[in-house]
Amino acid sequence: MTTPQDVENMIGRMALGDRQAFSDLYSATSAKLFGVALRVLSNRAEAEDAIQEAYLKIWRNADRYQVNGLSPMTWLITITRNLCIDKLRARKVQGGGMDEAAEIESSAPGPEALAMASSDRARIVDCMGQLDDQKSDAVRRAYLEGETYKELAERYDQPLNTIRTWLRRSLIKLKDCLSHD
Amino acid sequence: MTDETATSETAPLAAEYTLGLLPEDEARAFEALMSRDPDARAEYAFWAENYAALTNDIPHEAPPAHVWTGISDVAFGPAAPRASWFSRFGLPSALGGGLLAALAVLWLVDLSGMMGGETSTYTAQIAAEDSSLIIQASFDDSTDTLSLTRDAGAAADGRDLELWLISGGNAPVSLGVIPETQTADIQLDADVVAALQDGVLAISDEPEGGSPTGAPTGAVLAVGPLIAL
Repeated sequence: MTTPQDVENMIGRMALGDRQAFSDLYSATSAKLFGVALRVLSNRAEAEDAIQEAYLKIWRNADRYQVNGLSPMTWLITITRNLCIDKLRARKVQGGGMDEAAEIESSAPGPEALAMASSDRARIVDCMGQLDDQKSDAVRRAYLEGETYKELAERYDQPLNTIRTWLRRSLIKLKDCLSHD
Repeated sequence: MTDETATSETAPLAAEYTLGLLPEDEARAFEALMSRDPDARAEYAFWAENYAALTNDIPHEAPPAHVWTGISDVAFGPAAPRASWFSRFGLPSALGGGLLAALAVLWLVDLSGMMGGETSTYTAQIAAEDSSLIIQASFDDSTDTLSLTRDAGAAADGRDLELWLISGGNAPVSLGVIPETQTADIQLDADVVAALQDGVLAISDEPEGGSPTGAPTGAVLAVGPLIAL
């Protein structure tokens, strides 16, 4: 069983150029990340390309992990998810219209954030359950399918500003729920 | 948005930013806010952690074996320097990444060329990504001489090219300004010779006479790993 601390240690050794640590990290996490890539891209060849790019990025940026403040699995998942969304948006470029795809992964934020226990991690599922179906569906589509406000507006047949207003309200509500002990 | 309103405004912005929903100008503004506001960074982490949990129920699937082969070929190309070596030069990591990819290709080129078996104990092709500058280097341990042959490229007007050795986790060591002649020999000190193993040669653009600081000050134009013969 690989713990978050194990993954963090692997990333720390990778930052020093330890190839074995990178190989270990890949063995421990690639089934998870490939699963995520397959889910987002629904295309095997693209998912393989995406995790190759993701792991190379993880290897090269391992020395920046300590300052980015995310728990280790979240860091790996976020890199993979953002790369996949970039590919997805590039694929359906006519549908997007909002050209924000490139910069989502360029940030290097640095808060203190510890790995969450698995019981906490499931909380978002419960909290999403407290939103209207349409709204939790929209959040899920944005995260896992990279849908933009424009696409969501078309999907729900609402003006873009209306969609943004109701989704923002939902996100605030979601935060209240997630922050509630 | 101002700093004063950051607390109330940050929550939905961070949530939207993390989903990738913000228009570009707002995304940039949020990144700027994160760079100076720990609360905004904490908000980002909060959302990144929670959204990542949305992947909990996605089934795991082992990728096919060739995926790792592809990754390790690029990441571990012999003597391929890690990005941190480039960051020592102050290069953005994206550029370092591009150079790394180029190195992986160059190594294959070098392998095909190294079967001749010269007297040198190391060889390197120091090449720019776009091949605008290519210098072949070979080191002969009987004379401790590094011989350079320029195949392409030259310093810009009023500038010089300076040669550096990067080895292990050490700061780049200057091997001197590269003469404008097509070939040149550089005598290496014993401590430099000892550092050649697993080293990388790099060429930077410097003021006439070389870097005034002892560290690279201009752009790194070309790199090449030293390959033991």
